[in-house]
Amino acid sequence: MVGEDFAAVLAAAQAGDEMAFSRLWRDGNPALLRYLRVLAPDRAEDIASETWVRVVRGLADFRGDEMAWRAWLFTTARRRLVDDARRRARRPEAPLDEDAAARLTEPGDAADAALERIGTQAMIQLLARLPRPQAEVILLRVVGGLDTETVARMTDRSPGAVRVAAHRGLRRLAEIMAAEGVTL
Amino acid sequence: MTDLGVPDDDMPIFSRVRREDVSATGDTSLAAMLDQTEPPAGMEAVAEALAALLAAPLGDELTGQAAAMAEFRQWFGVSHQPRRSRRRRSTLLTSLLRARAAAAAAAAALCLGGAALAAYTGALPAPVQRLAHDVIGAPSPKSTSHHPARSGSPTGPKVTGPAAFGLCNAYAHAKEHGTPEGRDVAFSKLVKVAGGADKVTSFCSGVQHPGTSATHRHQSGKPSSHSHGQQPAHHTGPPAHPTDPPSAHPTSRR
Repeated sequence: MVGEDFAAVLAAAQAGDEMAFSRLWRDGNPALLRYLRVLAPDRAEDIASETWVRVVRGLADFRGDEMAWRAWLFTTARRRLVDDARRRARRPEAPLDEDAAARLTEPGDAADAALERIGTQAMIQLLARLPRPQAEVILLRVVGGLDTETVARMTDRSPGAVRVAAHRGLRRLAEIMAAEGVTL
Repeated sequence: MTDLGVPDDDMPIFSRVRREDVSATGDTSLAAMLDQTEPPAGMEAVAEALAALLAAPLGDELTGQAAAMAEFRQWFGVSHQPRRSRRRRSTLLTSLLRARAAAAAAAAALCLGGAALAAYTGALPAPVQRLAHDVIGAPSPKSTSHHPARSGSPTGPKVTGPAAFGLCNAYAHAKEHGTPEGRDVAFSKLVKVAGGADKVTSFCSGVQHPGTSATHRHQSGKPSSHSHGQQPAHHTGPPAHPTDPPSAHPTSRR
């Protein structure tokens, strides 16, 4: 999160300041990728890139605080994700998400990587094993930093359904971690 | 998108902080909650693990920046503007890295230390803490008047009960990776209870994992088997977050 500088950074970016936009991008892109790598692992970079093209074009008209910014960013990404899934559904030869997710859960070669890298990637792999709605809700809440009501609006569900999905997803994660002795 | 079919009666019920007990003791510090909280089986570890999702950017998460900046320049027609100096760029990067160092360090400590009670000490990053608050009844991330247990000055957890295990883990980790001064409030209590800094290790060697006797946490794959606590006080009601709902909505353009 950009934090208390957000309003100034946003205003500068809207006025064309590259460094300000860079700050927004560097804050937002890792979060977007962590969301997308769970839901569309083999297309995450492309969808993130398409998301930023949309965001750049709408940037001057955006109004809101950092929560609204985050909601817009992830809403835009989610639309690209849905469009992408539709395109892929029309092209059955395209690899399915499940295959990519399965590949991701294979033991990696990350033993000598930085600690947070292991933790982050391990969590992405774990989340990819959850039912998609549960994984998405958890990601939007944690990585997106969005509240229940915002996630509910984004996903066309009731806040209660969002809470239940988060609850079930966390419980499923607990079961996986317990069953496999996962320690991050 | 439909919710997948787990029957509603299959929902876990987690044990809760007994807030009335906290207030009865007159100890309004968060630490008071620790002694009286039986963490939901397995869920606290999940909440801590989720903090890894907020770790500092990985290298390959920033590789698309040049393309994004090019798009920005083209759209805003600012390609004629003088480039920012390398010095300013590195300053920004430095401050970004510095700002995130704490979060990354916290995530790393949580991952390694296995401090089972991070969600209950409010030590998790805010988004994770909010989720933990909504889902497992951990304290909300910000001190507010309607969370009396989080008001008051920090006194650190009491070094008894389940807190001891987490503190010992965190202490061992901090000692291994530097010095434990960063958590001096909690650690000083640990040192005091142990009878001196040199006795912490032997003190901690006698501290049991809080799940050892109850066979929960990693030993148990069934959080719902651990539902002997009280019904949640605020589980079904709207969470009283100071931060939500957002005051503005995105003006999205398609």
